[in-house]
Amino acid sequence: MKHYINEKEPVLTLHNVVKRFGGVTAADHVSFELYGGEVFGLIGPNGSGKTTLINLITGIYSADEGNIMLGGKKVTKLSTHTRSKLGIIRSFQHPRLLGRCDIETNILVGVDLAVRRRLPQARDYQERMNILLETAGLSGVNLKDSTERLSYGQQKMLEIVRAMLSYPKVLLLDEPAAGLNRSEMNYIRALISMATNEGIAVLLIEHAMDLVMEVCNRITVLNFGKQITTGLPSEVQENTAVIEAYLGGGGQLAANQ
Amino acid sequence: MKNKKKSSIIVLLTALAVFALAPLGMGNYMLRVLNVALITYLCVLSVYVLLGMCGQNSFAQAGLWGVGAYMAANLVLRAGFPPVIALLAATAGTALFAFVLGFAFFRLRQYYFTFASVGLMTILNGLFMNWEPVTGGALGMQNIPKFSVFGIMLESEKANFYFILIICVLTFVVMRILFYSSIGRSFMAIRDNEIAANCMGVNSLLTKSIAFGISGALCGIAGALYAFLSGYLSYQTFTYQQSTMYLIMIMLGGTISPVGAIIGTMIISLLQEFVRPLANYMQLIYGAGIMILMVVQPEGILGGGKALYETLHKRKRTGPDAA
Repeated sequence: MKHYINEKEPVLTLHNVVKRFGGVTAADHVSFELYGGEVFGLIGPNGSGKTTLINLITGIYSADEGNIMLGGKKVTKLSTHTRSKLGIIRSFQHPRLLGRCDIETNILVGVDLAVRRRLPQARDYQERMNILLETAGLSGVNLKDSTERLSYGQQKMLEIVRAMLSYPKVLLLDEPAAGLNRSEMNYIRALISMATNEGIAVLLIEHAMDLVMEVCNRITVLNFGKQITTGLPSEVQENTAVIEAYLGGGGQLAANQ
Repeated sequence: MKNKKKSSIIVLLTALAVFALAPLGMGNYMLRVLNVALITYLCVLSVYVLLGMCGQNSFAQAGLWGVGAYMAANLVLRAGFPPVIALLAATAGTALFAFVLGFAFFRLRQYYFTFASVGLMTILNGLFMNWEPVTGGALGMQNIPKFSVFGIMLESEKANFYFILIICVLTFVVMRILFYSSIGRSFMAIRDNEIAANCMGVNSLLTKSIAFGISGALCGIAGALYAFLSGYLSYQTFTYQQSTMYLIMIMLGGTISPVGAIIGTMIISLLQEFVRPLANYMQLIYGAGIMILMVVQPEGILGGGKALYETLHKRKRTGPDAA
């Protein structure tokens, strides 16, 4: 497992990002960097502000304080669609596909984004699409079928395929493994490793701790919007504050079992 | 799958050929009914683009139709432009009008655009009725010449029929191209999931305004054609009720494809003629019919047909691998 800090410039930087909803601070001075080719885990109990952070990074919410930088560019005030055109692409906790369209149209939306981003390789998507579908275990599906014919897990996979076709710089995955069975989890693993091999920075929110500990290079733990700790998976597992947050004290991280 | 596409193209072409032969056995009155139905189809197609593809419901389409009609009539009668230029300018002008308004309206989220469109329809109808220097006010505009191109004037109903039919076919083809283009996919992404669309680089405001602009172009061309065909414009034509009628037509036909717009328009336009004795009950029949249809088959006649086709041809599916 590599440690990426100091190796190169970060792709995405969060600096003291704050988001308040009424009296609740959902993101409380959160700061971290994401480097190309690494998987950065974001874990914490339910309601700790993980999805809020993804929404802040993609611009669905606007930050009350702090800065978000993509490479050297400040994106804090940019709209969601502008950020995605710069390469910040996400998946959703519950898949958000084009429900009345066929699978192919859903895939082509990702290609369209690559075209909008003026990437020279955008239009030669066929080969990449086939590789991605194969990696996601979707090579058997009929592209003309409605997305309703896909299982929940396959819909989640299709969302990641769609995101990958737009050649993201940062890929934000919101609980990709939730609701998936063991073999589907392997497809997620394969997709994540394909992304990192391409140098994409992956931010992974996940409750399946075995997956998190296995694929993440670094992890940050959130509780009530605050970062408890950031570090290597092994360090995080030993951290008493983390154990406290997850289990209310005593015992090991549920993850390890 | 390819065969299915091929066979649906064959069905459409056959229907078109039969339709093109219609004038042979028809009197001028029926031809006029058909011509107006074809023009109505263009307006219903505008609802298809906006509602069927982009998920935005507008009650202002008859108003845009009026904008196109009065624009064309003014350009010919007052500015002295040839009809071809007036037709093109009315199309472009109405498209621009709708696009610019879209930029203001689509800052409103969810269904508030629909509310704004009701306001727009009311204002436009008020303008048609009262803006005498431009629309002729309550008296309307008269003596608009027939359409002419390259010195040939389309005098007869039959000539107009073929001219309007060609425009309808062209717009149909353009809508199919749009459907398979990245703009079309942006429309559908907004319709199906706006947040996901934004996260895939789709600019909501711009995309919805383009959809409204394209729907404006269709209404504009329909308006100009109507002005040349009827020779007379009255504010009583471009009403809120007419906008509602377009919605009823597309609901009946189905919003999933421009074919739905054809089916809905033709059924209702022809029904109005053939059951004239029941004219007093028409509103009741539409209302009840639409309510029943929405419960039984929300995707309209076309959706029902598609479901039936799929039941009859239960294809052997290469299902997802059992994981």
